[in-house]
Amino acid sequence: MTLLRIDDVYQSYEAEQVLQGVSFDMQQGDVDVLMGPSGSGKSTMLRCINRLTEVDSGDIWLGDTHVTAPETDVNELRQDVGMVFQDFNLFAHLTALENITLGLKRVKGVHAEQARERARGHLDQVGLGDQTDAYPAELSGGQKQRVGIARALAMEPKLMLFDEPTSALDPELVGDVVAVMQDLAAGGMTMLVVSHEMGFARSAADDIHFLDNGQIVESGPPEQLFEQPEQDRTAGFLSGLQADGPQ
Amino acid sequence: MSTEESSAVDDVGIAAGVSVERPWALLVLAGFWGWLGSRWINDFLLPDSIAVSSERSFVPVDPVAAAAETLGSVAAALGPVGAPVDVVASLVGFVAGSLPHLPPLARGAWLTLLLTVAGIGFGFVLAVPLSVGRVYGGRWLRWLSLSYTELIRGTPLLAQLFVLYFGLPLTQVIRELPGVGAGPLPAQAFWVAVVGFTLNSAAYQAEYIRSALESVDAGQLTAARAVGLSRAEGIRYVVLPQGLRYAIPGWSNELIYLIKYSSLAAFITVRELFFRAEAIANDTFRYTELFVLAALFYLALVLSASVVMGWVEERSSVPGVGGRQ
Ligand SMILES: Nc1ncnc2c1ncn2[C@@H]1O[C@H](COP(=O)(O)OP(=O)(O)O)[C@@H](O)[C@H]1O
Ligand SMILES: [Mg+2]
Repeated sequence: MTLLRIDDVYQSYEAEQVLQGVSFDMQQGDVDVLMGPSGSGKSTMLRCINRLTEVDSGDIWLGDTHVTAPETDVNELRQDVGMVFQDFNLFAHLTALENITLGLKRVKGVHAEQARERARGHLDQVGLGDQTDAYPAELSGGQKQRVGIARALAMEPKLMLFDEPTSALDPELVGDVVAVMQDLAAGGMTMLVVSHEMGFARSAADDIHFLDNGQIVESGPPEQLFEQPEQDRTAGFLSGLQADGPQ
Repeated sequence: MSTEESSAVDDVGIAAGVSVERPWALLVLAGFWGWLGSRWINDFLLPDSIAVSSERSFVPVDPVAAAAETLGSVAAALGPVGAPVDVVASLVGFVAGSLPHLPPLARGAWLTLLLTVAGIGFGFVLAVPLSVGRVYGGRWLRWLSLSYTELIRGTPLLAQLFVLYFGLPLTQVIRELPGVGAGPLPAQAFWVAVVGFTLNSAAYQAEYIRSALESVDAGQLTAARAVGLSRAEGIRYVVLPQGLRYAIPGWSNELIYLIKYSSLAAFITVRELFFRAEAIANDTFRYTELFVLAALFYLALVLSASVVMGWVEERSSVPGVGGRQ
């Protein structure tokens, strides 16, 4: 079953044309990775899917929901689309547990005690059951990002978006976050991940989309894209990545 | 009521100095409030049959005056070596001269306190929507709250009080309200002053809160929206709780300015601290003594405010948000 359909999406900021006719589909349970040079429009693509940014033209469908239709309730839509940010964006004044219960209580209307119960479960799931009362400032980058993932999971989304979830982390903390993402992938979560983490892409990705200048240059499973890319631009970008290591 | 960074640093410094480095200052403040509180209870609450007359000092004046006189003659007898005794004698003399004026000044301080607390409290209630409108509002809302804060901050507070008191029908309206000026409720001029300080303080507080809101990382609201909170909910539950914590130091400054600026209410006949001091000075011609005395009252009020706000700042801070790290 097709869960996400992106059809000929164009987007621009004031003068700058960012997305220039992006199309791809994801099946339920797929894990797709979006790669591309900085400024190519990867974050913008993700933000269009939960309407943090509006498209100029083209359509996005999430299951039966016409995401890009003006009458679609964005607050409803966003419960179905979890988002994980490069710099975490944990609510700074709330503990790890409260970061998760806020949405449960205010968006889903879950009762306070039940919300705490569920939040504890999600923190356990990302290996942070012992950090429920820690404030973001007291957590390491890797722990913050795992709270960020738990916060998104708690809304029980159909699709999870990750925007460079490990690129703000010290190298030795990347592994914990990648492990949580691999667990999620193995558990059947549909995930669209912007990342240059080759290990994750190789082990978990169904398809890799290479985005450059707002267009998808090439798509395919990791073996094909990494070993025999059809386009020179893809090959050039990937060899740069492998030479520099993950960024 | 200044947005200058330097004064923000100074006044916060006072609070830290009083509470941590000078425990004796806390003791002096405790004594001041103990006395002031007893004075208010005596004057406003106790029945006349058991109360000390509201015009009489708790400490009898005559023995203190006699002590000052004795010390003075001892100093004279000692000749040049008696200089330190002479200093003590004149201090005791100052106390003896001040004692009779303390009861009316304490009643004035009650109104000063009420004016300040009402001004800062009601001002805060107005300042939050003003600053949110300024940062997150549409074009019209931004323009409206900007105009308001610039109008208020660009004109003298005294002129604002005069317009409210003499220029608008507000005074008449308040005079007609039931209970105003009767019994323990202050007369209409006080309520006009409360309105004035509220409108004025709201503008200054809105500026502090606005810059605090702007210092909250934009990603916080984005994350709130991504979870499914509406924009208004994101502001209410995520941005404001952080912004208000960042605003506390500036807010403490505003409170301290308001304590001192509340003396302007004297010019529209509110019988607060400064009004009382000036009235007694006019009667007794002891201008220096009375204004020194009033200054000591204001100093004690300001130091108390610093201590309280320092405590509020510490209590409300969480790791990474607010407090002095
Ligand atoms: N809010 C914005 N306003 C204006 N331009 C933006 C904004 N966000 C991104 N851009 C521009 O859009 C282009 C694509 O950005 P982005 O989607 O963040 O790329 P990527 O995530 O691939 O690095 C960049 O040139 C960037 O400068
Ligand atoms: Mg990006």
